[in-house]
Amino acid sequence: MTQEENLNGLPREKLIEVLESFKDPEVFNAVTGPWKSRVVWQGGMRAKSYMRNHVVEMDEPGDLTATDVAASAHEQVLSAMGSCMTVGFIVNATKRGVKVQDLEITVEGYFDNIRKWAGVEDSGNPGYGKISAKAFVRADADEATLRDIWRLAVEGSPVTQTIRHSNEVETDFEVIG
Amino acid sequence: MALTPLFPVTTVGSWPRSTALIQALLRKQSGEITSSEFGAVADQEVIAALRAQEDAGVDIVTDGEQRRDNFYSFVVDKLSGMQLMKVSELLDYAKDRARMEEVLRALDVPAFAIKSPIVVGKLHKRDGLALDELAFMKKHTDRPIKIPLPGPYMLTRSSWFEGLSDQVYDSSEELAKDVVGILREELIALRDQGCDFVQFDEPILSQVVFGEESTETFMCASLPQRRDPTEELEFAVRLMNETVEGISGIKTGVHVCRGNWSRREDVLLSGNYGPMLPFLMQMNIDQLVLECATPRAGEMEVFKEYRNEKEIGLGVVNPRTDVIESPDEIVTKVKEIMKYFDPDKVYLNPDCGFGTFAERNVNTSETAKKKLLVMAQAAAKLRAEYG
Repeated sequence: MTQEENLNGLPREKLIEVLESFKDPEVFNAVTGPWKSRVVWQGGMRAKSYMRNHVVEMDEPGDLTATDVAASAHEQVLSAMGSCMTVGFIVNATKRGVKVQDLEITVEGYFDNIRKWAGVEDSGNPGYGKISAKAFVRADADEATLRDIWRLAVEGSPVTQTIRHSNEVETDFEVIG
Repeated sequence: MALTPLFPVTTVGSWPRSTALIQALLRKQSGEITSSEFGAVADQEVIAALRAQEDAGVDIVTDGEQRRDNFYSFVVDKLSGMQLMKVSELLDYAKDRARMEEVLRALDVPAFAIKSPIVVGKLHKRDGLALDELAFMKKHTDRPIKIPLPGPYMLTRSSWFEGLSDQVYDSSEELAKDVVGILREELIALRDQGCDFVQFDEPILSQVVFGEESTETFMCASLPQRRDPTEELEFAVRLMNETVEGISGIKTGVHVCRGNWSRREDVLLSGNYGPMLPFLMQMNIDQLVLECATPRAGEMEVFKEYRNEKEIGLGVVNPRTDVIESPDEIVTKVKEIMKYFDPDKVYLNPDCGFGTFAERNVNTSETAKKKLLVMAQAAAKLRAEYG
């Protein structure tokens, strides 16, 4: 691979080849899923999630009586959304040959009714009612091009669109022993 | 200092950067062009900034800080042991990331856009901090020259970052000794090479006095070190006096303002100089270069107790507006301060620079020049009356 082919830390030609391969039904099925996570309680409000060969810890803020040794799951949802759009932006920029110097995305959300989680109210949505994100970018392209790349990053983001479309979540439950 | 007329007109330092200069600066920072290639671009911009000031009637000129990426972090190119780091890089070392996040959200800026010079090794001066700027200016202007330098307090506080700097120095007090030594040497060298006026920039003193616990700030990186304001002001006085002690033959000043990063007045700090003046007056410098043009600077009566104790570099125009102040407005402002300062103690300057941060000009060079022009017109009226 020559240096010229490497853009934004990615092998541009190889990346385009991989993305094109999604047209192949076999590849499509493989990348469609299932994507998996195993979450193991660690005591208190702490948990560890295991994803392929990666581990992420989670906890809750101290004012909820938790130990606050890691970010909470609901914060990590925001981070997941921002990270997903980051990947989307960089992939689309790289495809177009746009060099990105800096990219930063802020994400914030407000719960609709957190009292439902606390069990002090029965109705309402305890989840985020509104999530907003803002991207800051410095790159070698005009503003219209960068806005279009941002649009593709948002519209093509699996995590963002999962949240946006409130997909059905199927749950199951089994007591052991 | 070379002779200047009454009510000398000067600037606080920075001049708006052209797009070409900003691009060249970014290319230099990313290693795409050399320092000398950048210098060639900056030379032309400095000459343009000098001509603009001279044409407007400025009596004491600066080079517009055209070679600097901002008023303090430029020193990383001149010192070993200091590195320009983005706040996004510092997040990995920060002890209170949540607080930094609050500030970034309040400022609505990305962490990659704010850079701080951080001490990561023992400080040593490579060349002069601004001797090259002075030498170039002396070739291109015969007017008295002002060189702004970061003040010892700001340089110490803004470059200290727990997790990095404490690997090198036992404390920021220890770092301050080296900072003071470097600035002293620089002041002497600038004087010996014909500089007329050195202005030490200490804008974070207003953050110390007027800043809230969490929101607005000049330097995100220095945030986690918030301390008692009185102790901080005493520390600033001590460092300034250690810097200038025994050095004569050059005019010295200290510049304080309440922020110059945004054109939104509501996000900049407010408060009169009352709480700060007892400390500023203890600094053994000649002139206080102060923001006074906006209501945020408070009433001028606070100078009553300190009549003629120092010269005042009076901020008479707001560098961040499109509206051009009238000469009569400026004359009125000057007459107000003359209740407490004699005519030979009053200098006229804008509240702050026109482009404190290279990538964030707060005005165009056309508007900046118009503002300087009305300052010169006001000075002419005042000279006619008091000269």
